[in-house]
Amino acid sequence: MNRLPAPFLFLVLMVISCQGLLAADLDALPEFLRSDPFGAIVAPDRGAANLSSSLYGTQHRIMLTGCRGGYVSFQLVVKLPSPSDYTVDVAIPDRTNKVQIDLFREWFHFTDSDRRYYPDALIPVHGTYSSHLPEPDNRIRQQTAQAFWVDVYIAPDTRPGILSGRAQLKAGAKITILPIQLTVLASIIPGEDVVTIDHNSYGSSWLAQQFATSYQHNPDHWFESEQFFRLIHAYHRLFYEHRGIFHQLGYGHSGKVAPEFAPLLEGSGRAKHITSWSLYDRHYGPLFDGMAFSASRRGSRPIPFVYLPINPEWPASYEFWGEAGYEAEFVNVVSQIERHFREKGWTHTNFEVFFNHKKRYKGFPWDGDEVRFPEDLKYFLEYGRLLKKALPADTPVRFVFRADVSWDMEQQFKMLEGVVQLWCASGGILSFYKDAPKMLRKRGDVIWYYGGPPRVTDSSAAITELPLRAWLWGVNGFVHWLTVSPGEDPWFHFNGGQTALVYSGERFGLNEPIPSIRLKIQRDCLQDLVLLDSFKGDKSLDSLRAGAARKYNDSTPDDWWNPRPALADLPSDRWLGSAIDDATKHTRQALRDPGASGWYNVHQYALSLQAEAK
Amino acid sequence: MKILPLIASLTFAILATANLSLKEEGPAEMQLELDSLARVGSVMVDGDVCQKIVTERAKQFLFASDPRDEFLAGDNYDVDDAAFNSVKKTLIRLSHLAPFPADVNLWMPIEGHRGKIHLVIRNKNEMSQFWNWGELYGDMAPQMESVLKTGQRITVTSKPGWISVLAPVYNSLGDVVGLIEAVSRVNVDAHENVK
Repeated sequence: MNRLPAPFLFLVLMVISCQGLLAADLDALPEFLRSDPFGAIVAPDRGAANLSSSLYGTQHRIMLTGCRGGYVSFQLVVKLPSPSDYTVDVAIPDRTNKVQIDLFREWFHFTDSDRRYYPDALIPVHGTYSSHLPEPDNRIRQQTAQAFWVDVYIAPDTRPGILSGRAQLKAGAKITILPIQLTVLASIIPGEDVVTIDHNSYGSSWLAQQFATSYQHNPDHWFESEQFFRLIHAYHRLFYEHRGIFHQLGYGHSGKVAPEFAPLLEGSGRAKHITSWSLYDRHYGPLFDGMAFSASRRGSRPIPFVYLPINPEWPASYEFWGEAGYEAEFVNVVSQIERHFREKGWTHTNFEVFFNHKKRYKGFPWDGDEVRFPEDLKYFLEYGRLLKKALPADTPVRFVFRADVSWDMEQQFKMLEGVVQLWCASGGILSFYKDAPKMLRKRGDVIWYYGGPPRVTDSSAAITELPLRAWLWGVNGFVHWLTVSPGEDPWFHFNGGQTALVYSGERFGLNEPIPSIRLKIQRDCLQDLVLLDSFKGDKSLDSLRAGAARKYNDSTPDDWWNPRPALADLPSDRWLGSAIDDATKHTRQALRDPGASGWYNVHQYALSLQAEAK
Repeated sequence: MKILPLIASLTFAILATANLSLKEEGPAEMQLELDSLARVGSVMVDGDVCQKIVTERAKQFLFASDPRDEFLAGDNYDVDDAAFNSVKKTLIRLSHLAPFPADVNLWMPIEGHRGKIHLVIRNKNEMSQFWNWGELYGDMAPQMESVLKTGQRITVTSKPGWISVLAPVYNSLGDVVGLIEAVSRVNVDAHENVK
């Protein structure tokens, strides 16, 4: 029997062992098509699979186009049919450093509801990323694909023109290169958004849970530590960088105020006063003077809105409600607050007097949030009076009375005119009152509507519906009611993310939050909205809105409103929750789910208008 | 020379025992204070006013459910604010009797629903050993049932570090119509329930 020569055998073995690597591939996908860990597009995005080649130009080149002062995003997918080490990096060399690349590894969350994997959390990668597939920490045994999110930041002062770059994958001896061409347009995305997107949260105990290692190092003093305040500022910064704002409510439904959300009080009755601003100023000082954002690309800017700790039990004790002592405590302490803010020069932030409590939580006998029973409005009127008494008429400090409204909003718009200036309205019920946003804005009020983030199991572009609706309706903003609560185990048993748009980075050695794909898509949508709105000098706002609605899901702006139902003429305490659902049926039927391609079409529309304007 | 380690050991043992007893005295003192507070509360809280707090409408919807309306009961929860405020002010004043942070909560049985009880008034430290956050009503703890039946105060320390003293609330007919929970914790958590 002839024996094979050793060199030949070695070659054969090499070929066999490299077969997997020879099939190694690097693919580029638009931001709206999410890959699963096996290289397929996730089911909710498959309807837009025709977009998969939309990034590529001739010679398999990734073609990117973006305005200045914003981001262009896409995804890279490394595909390795067999377990192997690999290295990936992306570069668009720019000697002026005006164009910068942010690379993120996408975490594949296992969702219990449908037992599938979806990418969402984005782990920052600095420079080249080297790892192994299956990714050790993601623990998906059969994983053959790893997705990366690529943000290309184009500074406002970048020179318009074309830049070249490449994405590169090294797996074994094989190198795969995707050339990139970035066209920087002359247009600059305005820095001021047309829609404020708020990311809400409650208290700060969740931070100790999500950053447990950090907390365990210093459990007795963690909530007063520099690390703690840096972490809070990091949350603000992350949302700010994504064109959003962040709210943390600092008190509970019975009026308990966590120490970092309020100055320290002493005394009772006319002797009640503030004794220390120490924790409050460490918490909020860098947010109110903007220094917390000094290292961000958007620059230092004071946060535009913040909750005050004011509630029925703070600063005045509810023990004295309706008595002279209550008024003395409230007026004296709120006056002290105003003076402190004025002396500090904190005159750019809107300080919200907001009542979040509900009587069902048994702390107080009236609903501060979502008033249903009209007799509760007398409390609002009384607080309006007290506030007026506490504040100098010519104060430069912006105190605003905020009300979150649903059932009784139409009555409240009338009865609380001149008392409440910031309205946060249930989207479903506001949809009955088409004239309300215009009426409220005309008298100088701010109107937002509220809802929550979509699940990761919805289409990638589902989140764009929320800011788009705000812009089509002509309201000032949208509030995600909870955005920092990803559940007990978002990594391996995810609940879908309806209360989270960011995640703790602690698992990845980061003492800060990390973003999500949904947050990135929302930011890119906000860029497009502000760009679209900037064309209203050339076209009417109505025609711009009509164009965007048509591109989004073939709707008209009117389709986004519901007809005023008969129940709107009944006292709100006679409404039924199920009847509200029935009354919002029209929009549910008229608005087609645009799938993952909805926002892609609006983006293209914005770019076409930009080209026309040029 | 050998006596020195012996003295040191004895001293250490005495100090350790003293320290232990001090630690134990803390909760014991708190327990006495809360018991005293609850005793006063039992005569100060007006059961007739308490009975007027929860409205008929709220009672009718308390156990209502609708698959199309998951918040039906909560959305219809309403109280008489004058009665609520009157009792709440008394509860707050009672809590000042304790030289440490304490709450006095009002609990009431639900007519026609034996074995169920609901928290009617909470207070600013947001403490309770019995309330599951957010629930409109719950199962009556055996200690609560006992207070309602016998009119005798009961101290509950089921949760480590928590002390509650339950005391009856009477109306003008002499009936026990509810109970107060005078409650505190050995280590107060400044961030708990700020949500």
